[in-house]
Amino acid sequence: MSTATAAAPSAGAAIGIDRLFLTFAIGATAILVALVLLDSQPLSAALILGGFGLGIAFLKAEFSYTASWRRFLTKGEAGGLLGGLIVIAICALAVVPVAALKSNFGGAIAPLGPSLIIGAFVFGIGMQLANGCGSGTLYTVGGGSGRMLFTLAFFIIGSVLGSLSLPSFLALGGIDPVLASDYLGPWGGLAATLASIALAAGLIVAVAKKRGANFMPSRSYILGGIAIGVLCIAVFFAGGHPWSVTYGYTLWGAKIFAALGFDFSNAGFWQWPGNKQALASSVLSDTSSLTDFGMIFGAMAAAAATKPFAAAAWPPFKSILAANIGGLLCGWGARIGFGCNIGAFIGGVASGSLHGWVWFLACLPGCLIGIRLRPLFGLSRD
Amino acid sequence: MRKTYIAVVVLTFVAIVGNHLTSPSSGRAVSPEDFAGACAPCGAPCPSKK
Repeated sequence: MSTATAAAPSAGAAIGIDRLFLTFAIGATAILVALVLLDSQPLSAALILGGFGLGIAFLKAEFSYTASWRRFLTKGEAGGLLGGLIVIAICALAVVPVAALKSNFGGAIAPLGPSLIIGAFVFGIGMQLANGCGSGTLYTVGGGSGRMLFTLAFFIIGSVLGSLSLPSFLALGGIDPVLASDYLGPWGGLAATLASIALAAGLIVAVAKKRGANFMPSRSYILGGIAIGVLCIAVFFAGGHPWSVTYGYTLWGAKIFAALGFDFSNAGFWQWPGNKQALASSVLSDTSSLTDFGMIFGAMAAAAATKPFAAAAWPPFKSILAANIGGLLCGWGARIGFGCNIGAFIGGVASGSLHGWVWFLACLPGCLIGIRLRPLFGLSRD
Repeated sequence: MRKTYIAVVVLTFVAIVGNHLTSPSSGRAVSPEDFAGACAPCGAPCPSKK
């Protein structure tokens, strides 16, 4: 294990550079980029590199939806939540008009109904137990958290179970997606989307003020939010749709189960044309997987560039148990609820789709339950 | 934990490359909503089509 140490000339302090993992992260990214370029897929290469940038941005800004939503619910602190809205507002500037005006681009849309609400609620419970959401799991796994390896594994299992459950939940009914640009046009839809974000921000600040809590985002959340928002736009232009995370997990899980002999030919979800094709195709043909891989390796590179990688001890058993349960709930909920906080909330709201806000409002009560359950597993409520 | 991490990331990377090399690759990166006429990113059908 070639953990080397180099001196920082300016500070004079020692910075640990983990050359093994830094080399692996950069080398693995380069190989994946080369593989998709060999298939003449430059946009796929852009998605990997966009994910790589997102991994660095999330890790460096310590941008955590799970922790910031928890702080808002327990203490009224709104800075992290507002940082997340910065991401959505920036992303919406491109997604709403381009998706409405260009036929080869689409927004993140989803029907409104019991499936969306139940899925988001269960996801909320899971994200507080797992201590990570869709993006958080990726960048903390990439950052060297052993606990989050368990979360990711069970997230994947849960999302496959969710894929098997989704047709039954869709049968409960619902209404077609409600998209602002369908009613107001591309620019009116953008104005309505930005107004809805401003309204949400105002309500969040009002709650924070009423509870006497801080509502100003930290510098790292402002800069991180801007960087992540810009990268979201880049991913949107490369992939043709807003950044999504958890579909990749579902696909990886299904491929693993299929390799172990599981037959998906009777599973409704995997008979829908897109999913059937994705299951049969290379994993590097899936946009979510490309950004996911890039994000893991980006976070790994950023973490390994500053300290010895994965050098901490394993967490206590109860914490790992919470990671497993939380991951399972996150995976199942994300599939039933049409995505996680990235694909459903950020992608949905940034597309001007009403389901994004419905997902958020259904997820928060789930978070409250998850926060109450955390002490059972030795986790703080704060 | 470090040794476990090394094993996991190496095996995962081998699996990714192995899957890519042994599976057909579409002409460009696609999301299911690109070609399913779907009502959600996962390819779910629209309620009105039932």
